[in-house]
Amino acid sequence: MAPTYNIAMVSDFFFPQPGGVESHIYQLSTKLRDRGHKVIIITHAYKGRTGVRYLTNGLKVYHVPFFVLYRSASFPTVFSFFPIFRNIVLRERIDIVHGHASLSSLCHEAILHARTMGLRTVYTDHSLFGFADAASIFANKILKFSLSDVDHVICVSHTCKENTVLRASLDPLMVSVIPNAVVAENFKPLDYAAEVSAGSFRGHPPPARPLGPHDMITIVVISRLFYNKGTDLLTAAIPRILENHPQTRFIIAGDGPKAIDLEQMIEQNVLQDRVEMLGPIRHEEVRDVMVRGHIYLHPSLTEAFGTVIVEAASCGLYVVCTQVGGIPEVLPSHMTVFAKPEEDDLVAATGKAIAALRGNKVRTELFHEQVKSMYSWTNVAMRTERVYNGISGAISEAEFYGYDAANVAGSWSATRGRSGVQSFALIDRLKRYYGCGIWAGKLFCLCVIVDYLIFLALELLFPRDKIDICPDWPRKERKVDGEGCRVKAGRQQGDNERRAMDSLDGHWDP
Amino acid sequence: MALPSGLHQSAIPSDFETPFPPLVRSSTAPTGLRSHSANRSHLAPEDAYAPLSPPRRLGPFDGGGNGSGTDSRPRRGRRNDPGRSRSRRRKRFQKLLWVKQSYPDNYTDQATFLENLQRNPRVRPYDFWPLVADSTVIVQHVCSVIIFVVCFVGIFQERVSPVSVVGWSSFATFLGWLLWDWWVTRETQDKAKGDDARARMMPGGRAYRDYRPPLRQDSTGLDPSMLNASTVSISSASNLPSAASSTTNLLQEHHQPHRLFPPPSSSNADSLGLLAPTYIHSRSVSSFNSATSQASAVPSPPTHRLGPDGEPDLSLSTTPPSPPPARNSRAYVRVSTIKSAILIYFTLLGLSPILKSLTRSTSSDSIWAMSFWLLAINIFFFDYSGSSWVGSSFSTTGTTTKRMPVASLSTNAALMASTVLASRLPSTGQVFSLTLFSIEVFGLFPVFRQYARYRSWRYHAVLTVLLVLGAGGGVGMILGDERGWPWKKGLLGMVVGCLIATLAMGGCSWWLIGLQKYKNEIYGPWDPARPIIISRRHWDDE
Repeated sequence: MAPTYNIAMVSDFFFPQPGGVESHIYQLSTKLRDRGHKVIIITHAYKGRTGVRYLTNGLKVYHVPFFVLYRSASFPTVFSFFPIFRNIVLRERIDIVHGHASLSSLCHEAILHARTMGLRTVYTDHSLFGFADAASIFANKILKFSLSDVDHVICVSHTCKENTVLRASLDPLMVSVIPNAVVAENFKPLDYAAEVSAGSFRGHPPPARPLGPHDMITIVVISRLFYNKGTDLLTAAIPRILENHPQTRFIIAGDGPKAIDLEQMIEQNVLQDRVEMLGPIRHEEVRDVMVRGHIYLHPSLTEAFGTVIVEAASCGLYVVCTQVGGIPEVLPSHMTVFAKPEEDDLVAATGKAIAALRGNKVRTELFHEQVKSMYSWTNVAMRTERVYNGISGAISEAEFYGYDAANVAGSWSATRGRSGVQSFALIDRLKRYYGCGIWAGKLFCLCVIVDYLIFLALELLFPRDKIDICPDWPRKERKVDGEGCRVKAGRQQGDNERRAMDSLDGHWDP
Repeated sequence: MALPSGLHQSAIPSDFETPFPPLVRSSTAPTGLRSHSANRSHLAPEDAYAPLSPPRRLGPFDGGGNGSGTDSRPRRGRRNDPGRSRSRRRKRFQKLLWVKQSYPDNYTDQATFLENLQRNPRVRPYDFWPLVADSTVIVQHVCSVIIFVVCFVGIFQERVSPVSVVGWSSFATFLGWLLWDWWVTRETQDKAKGDDARARMMPGGRAYRDYRPPLRQDSTGLDPSMLNASTVSISSASNLPSAASSTTNLLQEHHQPHRLFPPPSSSNADSLGLLAPTYIHSRSVSSFNSATSQASAVPSPPTHRLGPDGEPDLSLSTTPPSPPPARNSRAYVRVSTIKSAILIYFTLLGLSPILKSLTRSTSSDSIWAMSFWLLAINIFFFDYSGSSWVGSSFSTTGTTTKRMPVASLSTNAALMASTVLASRLPSTGQVFSLTLFSIEVFGLFPVFRQYARYRSWRYHAVLTVLLVLGAGGGVGMILGDERGWPWKKGLLGMVVGCLIATLAMGGCSWWLIGLQKYKNEIYGPWDPARPIIISRRHWDDE
């Protein structure tokens, strides 16, 4: 019987705000609960959503009152989160604190305080940062501070791992790559449900829908229209693609500051009947838009993982994407056409994709099953559980870290204290922080000492035997390991929440 | 299988073939790993609430730390089995997420990890002498600011007559203007000659039809039918392959792009950036420049943006004027320049009494501090590149970036500094002189310097030396005793100024080159890609 843990997911970004990190946290928590762990989520208070809430499956969310600075990232105060955090942690008897997203100051604070309190910490990085500009340098310094004393780090792609290792000067052995996943049930191709009910399901995919030479091919773009999403490339490429391929049209969903450029382009080239702009859509509508098309075009300039292209492939779309960030790792080559982030290359790649579709060379109807077997949240939860086992000592250190190859053992000595089961002794922690920089190291040490003093004061002011222990939601018994982990959802909470979370997850059974 | 020498305690049969010796966690484990849990003398989180807690129990959270070092037998058993089974099905590690890897998630592949990392890929090593040459631009500007301050101090201490300052500087400005005008005229003539020859060579008007890109994305708001009509007319008119028509052809070309696209920059107007009334008139010449430069350029999509002067363009385009000859337009410019100079002169004269009492209620200390900061802003935000000036109207590539050759923040800061400084002066005449002088120094002189640098390196060097001498001498005279003979001090100041300038230029260049070894830029696949867009219209939106 593998141990089960009490896990606190901490991030600034959570429901009701939509987004990739938010749904990642929700899906992971749900699946971890299915595996018998207790998971709570700590985030800041959103408008109209404060206090303690229960989501489907008894997932408990603490909305901590916090000053929101920018785009729902809270104001970075180093210590102010500690009292309430300690209270929650003791009340819920948390063993592992799992922070998400590098721009969330709540997450960094929680990692610092959790280490002060002697808890295990995991951090998941969802984004890529450069090293050149001042904002990145600052963000990287903060990350270095926070990750100086973390037990393990999870990244969503290998590129993201390289980036995080460089940014926070981590031992690569303490960084795991666990990708995002999609809820494949939410992203079925258009004619898929009928085929399943007809019985021709596994091994017998529906026959290909041949595409005639004069059929209209629809290219779908769903993205926030920002500069780093490559909207400029899109604006430049659309007229040329439409000029080269008469029987094509575009559907563009999403909103952002670059929408005006696209509209201008449409008007100047008189493409109103061939480019449809849907404006902002909700996440649950994404599938309905995707199944209207044949090709998904993703011109992004930077991307850590690119969940949306997995969703598109799951919907049976042929994917054309730029070869940036973690995108080349995400999908096999028969589902994608890669382009360099150049206008010419994007036009050429789209032309190639259109030709392949017209020649019926791509079996897009198989994509859904393939994607389903590649990415599932159950798998992600299993792999995350292995990380928890590794840091808490349930699986031995050698098993957790030992298979790796390195040139000389001595070359890792600088970081050897950082990976593995780390010491909680204050002096060892200070040693780790001290190496962060000439000035920053001393400053960070000061912060850690103050944090410890605050911890002492809190123990005096609010002794832990005065804090109530919260009764746990009945845990699910753990089923066998593996992909087929199907656990009936125990109880449902209020209709309100259920409908709300429906947008994030269609996987619960009523 | 031989064990790597660094390994101890955990004898791993490395039965799989890996290009690198396997890294075993316990071999890299810190020596303090075992001691920390046993050694209770260190401060640990438990001490906060249980000062006399017994030695830590071996819970699931401590077991790993303790068990790894001491007891190797069970681990060896555990290690062996997965190791061997893995060796059979082990494939090459791939940096892919969709593949079911036979490696743990935190596996770090020595061959592929950070393989795309680039360090300092775009480093351009500096050379000493070009660096020194480039630093003269900064020296020039700093020296002209020093000269301005020296003149202010001179006027303030009543050692220099304000009339002489403004007289000499105005005279110098006039000379500079004449020189500049001569340069521009000559350059225009040269270009016109070259273009004349080229226009004879090729069928006229073709270039302009080629200018129109397949996708017109510009937002000029011009009627496309009108554009077409004008293009056609020009091409039909200039299709006559006669030598006689070449001149009119040229002139029409001169107007054609003017209507099609507003000129990328109006050079003359820029130079007289303060002389707003001349703007529309000076355009004809500038557009002549731009037209000729565009005509000689390879047909490229017109990259322009509708500037604040879009309105005069439209008005011009709706009422096609009769083409004035080039000579005439130069005369226009000269007259209008003089007109606006006179206008500014009298405006300043009228404003001087107001400026004089502007900051009467403010103490002098605040004024000195404020003007210091404003001048510092001027120096730090000044546009030293000079490329905007050269690139905007005189390049043959046809690409235009900026219009104003001088950074506006810098100029505004300097003019504000001169205004507050002038308000310290007791008499209206002094205020007027200083303000006019500041306009000449901060508004017109940078334009002249940049153009001189563009024109010839020799002028630039001579100008630099003169400015350094002037600044050094001025500072020497100001610092010198009032009663003594000021020229001796001035001479000394010149020598010291030259020394300081040389040392600063050489020293800073040498220092910068020395600092290059600390350069460590990291690039990788995580950096946002730079999109390459050909039909780019909005380059500088970002």
